[in-house]
Amino acid sequence: MSETLDKKTIFQRIGKNVLKRLKRIGEFLGKLWKHPKGRIGLIVVTILVILAVFAPWIAPYDPYDVTQRAAKGLPPSWQHPLGTTITTGQDILSMLIYGTRVSLLIGVSTGIILAFLGAIMGIMAGYIGGFVDSAIMRVVDVMLVIPTLPLIIVLTGLFGRNYFVIVFVFVAFGWTGLARVVRSLVLVLKNSNYVKAAELAGASRWHIMMRHILPGTSHLLIMNTALTSAGIMVAEAGLSFLGLGDPTAISWGKMLADAQGGGALLFGAWWWIIAPGLGIFFAVFGFMRIGIVMEEIFNPRMKASSGIYKLFKNLNNQYVEEVFASMDERKLLTGDVKPEPAESG
Amino acid sequence: MKKSFVIKRILYAVFIFFVVLTLNFFIPRIGIDDPAERYYPPQGGMSDIEYEIIKQITREQYGFHVSTWQQYLNYLEDLSQFNLGVSLRSGSPRVSALIGERLPWTLVLSVTTLIISLFIGVLIGTVAAWKRGRWQDTLLLNASTISVALPAFFIALMLSFYLGFELELFPAYTNPNMVAQFDWSWEAIRVVANNAALPVISMAIGGIVGYGQNTRNSVIAVTNEDFILTARAKGLKQNTILYKHTLRNAMLPIVTSLGMSISGLIGGAIIIEQIFNWSGMGTLFLEANSTGDYPLMMGIMLFLSTFAIIANLVTELFYVVLDPRVTVGEKR
Repeated sequence: MSETLDKKTIFQRIGKNVLKRLKRIGEFLGKLWKHPKGRIGLIVVTILVILAVFAPWIAPYDPYDVTQRAAKGLPPSWQHPLGTTITTGQDILSMLIYGTRVSLLIGVSTGIILAFLGAIMGIMAGYIGGFVDSAIMRVVDVMLVIPTLPLIIVLTGLFGRNYFVIVFVFVAFGWTGLARVVRSLVLVLKNSNYVKAAELAGASRWHIMMRHILPGTSHLLIMNTALTSAGIMVAEAGLSFLGLGDPTAISWGKMLADAQGGGALLFGAWWWIIAPGLGIFFAVFGFMRIGIVMEEIFNPRMKASSGIYKLFKNLNNQYVEEVFASMDERKLLTGDVKPEPAESG
Repeated sequence: MKKSFVIKRILYAVFIFFVVLTLNFFIPRIGIDDPAERYYPPQGGMSDIEYEIIKQITREQYGFHVSTWQQYLNYLEDLSQFNLGVSLRSGSPRVSALIGERLPWTLVLSVTTLIISLFIGVLIGTVAAWKRGRWQDTLLLNASTISVALPAFFIALMLSFYLGFELELFPAYTNPNMVAQFDWSWEAIRVVANNAALPVISMAIGGIVGYGQNTRNSVIAVTNEDFILTARAKGLKQNTILYKHTLRNAMLPIVTSLGMSISGLIGGAIIIEQIFNWSGMGTLFLEANSTGDYPLMMGIMLFLSTFAIIANLVTELFYVVLDPRVTVGEKR
């Protein structure tokens, strides 16, 4: 066979694969869209993404412009829809739009990286078992007792306050909860027939973990990404509020901190506080809705409220620990969650 | 309860404690290998020999003049005498003394928050579960959706703005004299209660809804059990079923989660304390952070982690005592 043909088939295969993936994503978005709650979430998130990507074109003023002495402390008007700051006369709407970038970037990237790390750790602990399992679970236990917010503060102090460090710290201390849940799901999948068949066929451990077990946990991971993204956005706003975020960027938490420090409370500039608060609210709300609806789509037997309850645990400084607490091992072992057969090839 | 189980859990807690302690020792040393250069940068008009002497004195002062391994042993020795080290503040106060000074004030906030959110939350949750699917339930669901998306510090800012500055119902900032002038008189207690109102409310809102959801799900799960059906069939009164059969079982997971949540609350009050200028552990930690006072920061971290370890251990043991259905070793 000639080389060109080989290349052709390879490209065809890749193309087919990509098409298949896109089709699946499309189907999934369609499902979200059909669900009334999911539609709200989808709309909110889409708007936020558009705002973040096209911020320089959408924002009416330059949010970094601190020289507008004449426009200090203006209440909302047609010229400045959300008013201006008291201290420097920055346009709050523009700041809000630019702040979307930080929130989305940190929230989504942390959510995705965390899902990867949690999946790998959970699958290794669950499938390999033995020493690897107990080592990973010991680490999880240690992480659970260390207070997260103080630790993050210490580490950002040591490593510097840029967003790479913040994402790294969030990931390093957030994967434990997901790993626990993935582990318990893997314990079930491990005994399913298709994994047994793969083992008998002589597939390597790595192959089984990546091709057979990972797809079975994917719904958990996608759900978790949406919910943790929401949680991390709140956490990031809190960090920025304490003045521990990236000092050069505009973020919602920092806007709130500036508002408090700039005397917005004292001078009655309510618009300066409400705007970033609403920004955080909508972002978290949108992602949370998507996460909860995903849960309902993937696992129809689960009640709508359980997702919220999980997120509560998430925000009450227990962090991502037990994000999926209600899906405990007992339920899984009695077969409440049916593992999807993984596709081969 | 088996004795071996208790011993096993205690040993495990000790093991976790040692890991946390070791981490606590090494984390600040990732960034700082020499406190002398960090805290005393070279100044003009100082000869190299003078600077070397100053550095040497500083190292000895902070115990950095020996090898890292020896430092670790010294650290363990200090800890065995409950000595968390010395803060870098002027006057070199002991870390344990500083924590002891601030801890009660944080406990005032967190314990009050916990009690309020537990009581109201359980009440609301029970009502929502009892009226499942009706407006009470929907209200709780919507309230939790909204309050999850509103961070506590934003609620705190709004409360401080509206109730504090506009209506002047409660002080928007804690009076710095409150701590210094506290003398257990009724007047002083009233002042503290007045100042604590806003922080407690802003922390409790999330807690109330959280416990509400938690209770609701738990109660509904118990309501579906067979023994409730039996109780109904026996013709017991609704109230008897609710209080004696349902709530008693439904409360179990909630009560056992208390230990963990209080340690979470103490560590989590940092932002709220900062907003209201409340002189608790959170503000102490932030003060330490802004001055790079690592002994103090690590002391607070160790204290919080130890608290969490003990809370976990107690919860685990209690769980076995309270729920005989949990067989030893099954709950990991």
